[in-house]
Order: sequence, then structure tokens, then C-alpha cells
Amino acid sequence: MSVSEPTMIGLSEKAHALLSQMKEDNFLAEMADGYRLGIGLALAQGIEPEDVPQRRTVFSVATIDPDQEIAAAIRALIDLKGGSVYRMAERLADWGVIELAKRFDGSPIDVGALVPKSD
Amino acid sequence: MKLLKLTTFNFMPYKGTMSLSFPTSSEQNVMLVYGDNMRGKTSLLNALRWAFYGKALGRHSRELPLQDLINKEATLEGDWSMETCITFEDSGHTYEYRRRATKHALVSKPSRPEDFEVSRGLLRDGIAINGYMIDSEISRFAPEQTSRFFLFDGELLQEYESLLIDGSEQGRKIKEAIEQALGVPTLIRGREDAQTLLKSAQKQQTRDLDKISGMERHVDRQRALQSEIETVERDIEDQETQLKTIRTDKTVLDDFIEATEKIHAAKERLTTNQESLATNAQTQKDLEIQRLGLMRDAWKDLIRPQIALKREHLTEENNQLAEAMIRKANISGQIEQLKKSLSSAICHACGQTLHQSQRELAGAELGRLEAEYLGIAVDENARNRVSAEIRDLDRLLKPGPTAQIKFLDKELSKLKVEQTKLDNEIERLHDQIKGQDTAEIARKRTLRDGLIKIEGATEQSIRASRAKLDKNNKELQMIAKALEGIPTARAAKSTQIVKIAGELERIYGRSIDRLRDDLKTRVEQFASDAFKALTTQSKYSGLKINNNYGLAILDERGHEVTIRSAGAEQIVALSLIDGLARAGRSAGPVVMDTPFGRLDPGHRANILKYLPTTTNQLILFVHEGEVARGHDLAQISSRIDSVYEIKEVSTRHSKIEKVTT
Repeated sequence: MSVSEPTMIGLSEKAHALLSQMKEDNFLAEMADGYRLGIGLALAQGIEPEDVPQRRTVFSVATIDPDQEIAAAIRALIDLKGGSVYRMAERLADWGVIELAKRFDGSPIDVGALVPKSD
Repeated sequence: MKLLKLTTFNFMPYKGTMSLSFPTSSEQNVMLVYGDNMRGKTSLLNALRWAFYGKALGRHSRELPLQDLINKEATLEGDWSMETCITFEDSGHTYEYRRRATKHALVSKPSRPEDFEVSRGLLRDGIAINGYMIDSEISRFAPEQTSRFFLFDGELLQEYESLLIDGSEQGRKIKEAIEQALGVPTLIRGREDAQTLLKSAQKQQTRDLDKISGMERHVDRQRALQSEIETVERDIEDQETQLKTIRTDKTVLDDFIEATEKIHAAKERLTTNQESLATNAQTQKDLEIQRLGLMRDAWKDLIRPQIALKREHLTEENNQLAEAMIRKANISGQIEQLKKSLSSAICHACGQTLHQSQRELAGAELGRLEAEYLGIAVDENARNRVSAEIRDLDRLLKPGPTAQIKFLDKELSKLKVEQTKLDNEIERLHDQIKGQDTAEIARKRTLRDGLIKIEGATEQSIRASRAKLDKNNKELQMIAKALEGIPTARAAKSTQIVKIAGELERIYGRSIDRLRDDLKTRVEQFASDAFKALTTQSKYSGLKINNNYGLAILDERGHEVTIRSAGAEQIVALSLIDGLARAGRSAGPVVMDTPFGRLDPGHRANILKYLPTTTNQLILFVHEGEVARGHDLAQISSRIDSVYEIKEVSTRHSKIEKVTT
């Protein structure tokens, strides 16, 4: 049985506000870049977050993942147990954005510091 | 001439009365006055200058205003009077030349030279000389034009270097002064007088020829040329006046520019730093944009290790699937062969007939292989899925942008450090120029540049006017020559006078050239002798003079030495001064202010040994760093008449004390 995938994905109110602030502070060219970075961070940390509370829809899936690379990465690293890959992406992004905001707290995002040292 | 005594009252730092007695013995003819900087050595030189010529010079040889010459402490006490008195002897007569300045009674606080009344008096053997004769009497033994060669400011020695540069204004002034000292102007004035006489005779000749028929063409041309010459001469006069004004204005601006050089440099640096700051900000902005663009794919670098590991696992799984497939295919082939062998009773591998026992063994092997075949599960779909997943992961493992982002971060960090430095420097420079009118400084610099252009253009115009004058004069000469051949014209008295005046002018012209050449040869010889005595470099063979009286050093092969040190320049300049003094006038006193500034001990010793032999009095105003009292003086002790020292009483008051005799 195929899983029904959403066409629009988003963030919690809190994560959305933080992502908006990063964009406003000019730490990101687009909010979508921060969204993807959040997913990457959560995947790198091996996190499998809970559902996003009070979801706010902000992006179309085609904008966030035009080449389905994010879907491929999630599928490779997380056992979806038949669940939706983009719902998982949403949860990962929500956790990752909040984590980015915590780590850099109003400073530019230091990507070098996020990349695992063994790489 | 021999100086006997200088007495001053309230002159510059010398408050009240100050007296200096000069050496009178021809054997002990050296006097030294020691003084630290800012104590009043140059003021002593100026006291002599003011005593003789009524002027004192400051930096760049600019005349100091009279109100600045009176002792400041005295003026604060309300005494605005000043006096100098120089006593000297010449040709068996004793002279006393006194000059006095006092403020006009109606002026409360003088602020300009006009606020003073200046009086002077010259006594010869105690008898007063008429006022109108004083200047000509002084010019006999100490003409002002030659004063720079006996009242000698060592700090201006470097000016003599400009004689080696063709067309330099400073060089031109010094050349004029040199020719004054050598007597060339006497002949130049003679030629000018002959030219005046010639012009007047030519005018008379034109009037006389007007009355003779057939001379109309000559008369008209002569008249036109004379009129043109007068116009050109007036033009030259105006242009020279203009040039003088330009040069005066330029000197004032140069002084201002020099005084504000640090502020200007700070302003220039500020502008440069502000430009650098703007470039820095723009570069940061560009790099930030570049960096933000790279953030799009940065997420991939974060999961690279996990993805790489996952790919390894998938590859392993893929390999296992592939191995099982191959194994199953192999078994299938073996089963087929065994089945064929059992049905035909011939071995398919070797072609021999199978015996019963062998058939039984082959049957057992077939059974085993069929069992194994059934045990191998091959999932084609699983293999396709794994392969697809590997392809997806390979896309994720392509090099990401993090290395580039790290590089950009490093560059941005450097730029930020640079930006902070620039901000600090800009703030410091702002403080430095705070309160200064930098716009006025910029205006005056531009104005000075403009004046340099106008000066060049005016010089060019003067040269063109002179060429035109020369051409017209030559044409007039041609007409005069033609008229000499016409009997009626020749008969006119004015034609005879034109002929005589023309000849006279040419004789003066040739004499000037000859005198200049002779003098240059003499100056070159005297200066070379002096140079050889003064230099410590034995390989130099002498000096070579150029048309401007500039002197080049010649090496042992007679080749010009192109690179000269500051000390060598000073020795060459001193040699020139000595050469000029000996070629241009009879031996007299030489007063030198700070002449040893750039010289090493060897050269100092040579000068101290040599100069007393070529002058009748050598008066040196020096500081301890130039002439050491112990070692340097010991070398000329037999020549020393007296040593004085300038002592500071207060910042506005110095006095002179004799320390040895």
C-alpha cells in the first residue's frame, strides 16, 4: 500500500519564528535553505523527533526537495516504518531549526562547526 | 674688510646689550660661538645682516618682519626699541655703522614694519658720512648681493645642489648672486647702457633719414621695429613683474604647505583608508552573498558520514545478492549437465561412457545440487531496489559546499580584522585633523599647483618675447649695416652714432661671455683646490663646473661621480663658496652658521684646518654636536682667538659669555 505524501510541509510556530528571524538577520538567503539545514542537522544527530505541534504550512515539497535528495537521505537513514517521508522531513526540520537557533543564538550560522570532524 | 665688534640692544633673543669682539690677529683668526638649537646662533648671523643691510632672514631666505626682531621679553616690558652697531676696518679706515629701530610714538603695540622708525648712521674714522652715500660706501667692501658668501647659513647649503639642475628657480637665484659676487653685472649694466644709447641713436637716425628721399622703406621698417621693440620690452618688464609676484606668492604657499604637510598627509591617509574601508565593506558583502548562495546544499555535508556508511552497507547487500544469483546460475548449469549425462550415460565433461557406479554417484550429486538450488532465494526486486538506493546515495555524496564556505568564513574573518584596524586608524586620523581647515589646505595646494603652471607659462612667454626682441634687434642691425653703405645715410651724424653704439654693445656682449668663461675657469680651479683639501676621499681628482656654476665631482679617471652623499654635497658647496670668495673678492671675513651639520669628523677636521688659511677671519656659530670642544678644537688651537657660549636666561632671553681666550 503506497503512502500518501503531502505536497506542502511546514514547521511549528516556534521554529517558524526562529527561521524567519535567521532570514531577517541575513544569515540565510532563503528560509528554505535553513529548513534543509535543519533536516541535515537532525539526520546527522540521529534524531527521530516527535510530531510537529501546531504545524504551520510554509513550503511546497517541490521547493524544499526538487530532486528528491532529501527524501532519499531520510529513507537511507531512518526507518520510516511505512510512514510519510516528508512528514518525517517536517519533524526533522522543526527539531533542526530550533537546534540551529540554540547553537548560534543570533550569530551567523557556522556551517564548518556543524560538519562532523571525521568528514 | 675686517670685522672688529658687534654690539646689539634688544635684538631677537639678546635682551639688553650684547657685545662680541672679533679676532684681529692674522694668525689667531678663528672665533667660535657655541649654542644649542633655538638659543640664538642664527640670530647672531641675522644681527650682522640687519646691521649691514637692514634685513634679517628666516626659513627659505624669507625676510623676517621688523616687529619680530625685537626681543619679546623687552616688548612685554614695554621697550620697543632695538639697535645694532658693527665696527669694522677697511683700507686703513675704521667704520662704525649703527642702525636703530623704535616704534612710532603714536603706535601703542606695533604689528607691522611701518609701525617703526628706522634710523642709521655711518662714521668713518669718527666722521659722519652723508646718508645718501652710506649704501655706496658699504657696497664697496660688503655688497649685499654677495653677502650670502660671507654671511653664510649652513642650513641653506643644500640649495647649492640646485645649481646642477638646469632651469631650477633656486639655481637661477644662486647663479645671479654668484655673478654679482664675481662682477659680471658690471659688464651687463655696461651693455644695457650701450643698448639704451643705441636705441636713442636709432630713433634719431630714423628721424634724420625721414628727411632724405629714397629712404622711406628703411625708415618705415626701422620705425616699425623700434615701436615693436619698445612694446616687447614693456611686455617683458610686465611679465617679469608678474613672475616675481607669482614666485613670492608661491613661496608663501610653499611655506604654508610645508607647515601643514602633516595635516595634509593625515587627510590623504584618511581618504585612502576610507576608500579601503568602502572596498572592504563591498568585498565582505560580495563574499556574504556568495556564502549565502552556498548554504543551499550545505545540509548534505552534515549527513555525509552516515550516508557513506549506509552506502557501504547497501553495497555489501548488493554484493551478497549478486553472489547468490551467480551461485544459483552456476548450480542450474551443473544440474542441466548432470541431467544430460544421466540420460545419455556419457560424461559431458570427458565424453566417456558412464558405468553404473558412476551413474549412481552422478544421480546423488544431482540430488544434492537440486536441493541446494532450491535453498538459494534470489530476490531480483530487492537487488534493483538496492541498486537504486545506491545511485540515490551517490548523488548525495558528491562534494558539498562546506569547504568553500569555510574558506569564505576565513576570508571574511580577515576582512573583519582589517576593518577594525581601518576603523581605529580612521578615528585616530579624524582626531589628528580635528579643528584643521583641510579644505583651505587643499585649496592652497591646488592654488600652488596652478601657480607652478602659470610660472612655467610666464617663463615661456618671457623666453618667446626675448627671442622676438633678439630677432628685431638683429633686423635693426641689418638695416643699420645696409644704411652704412648708402652715402647720404652714412653722412648723417646719427648713423655714425648708431654704428659706434652698436659696436660698443657687441664688445660688451663678447666681454661678458669672455669674463664668464674666465671666471668659471678660476672658480673651478679654486673650488677644486678647496675640495681636494677638504675631502677625505683621496681618489677624487677635483671638481668640474657647469654653466650654472654647479660643481660635479670627478673621480680618479676624470669621470663625473653621479651619486653623491649629503656630506659630499656639503663639501662641494663649501668648496664652491671658497672658490667664489677667492675668485670674486679680496680676502675678507667669513661668518658661518651651523656649517657642519652633515659632516663626519674627518671632513670637519679638514674644514677647520683649511678655512682659516683662506679667510682673514673665520667666525663659526656651532653647536657641540658639530665641533667637539675637546678633540676638534685641539686641532686648530693655535688659530683660535676666542670661544663664546650662548646661555639661556629664559625662553625669550639669551646672553653670550666668553669662555676662553
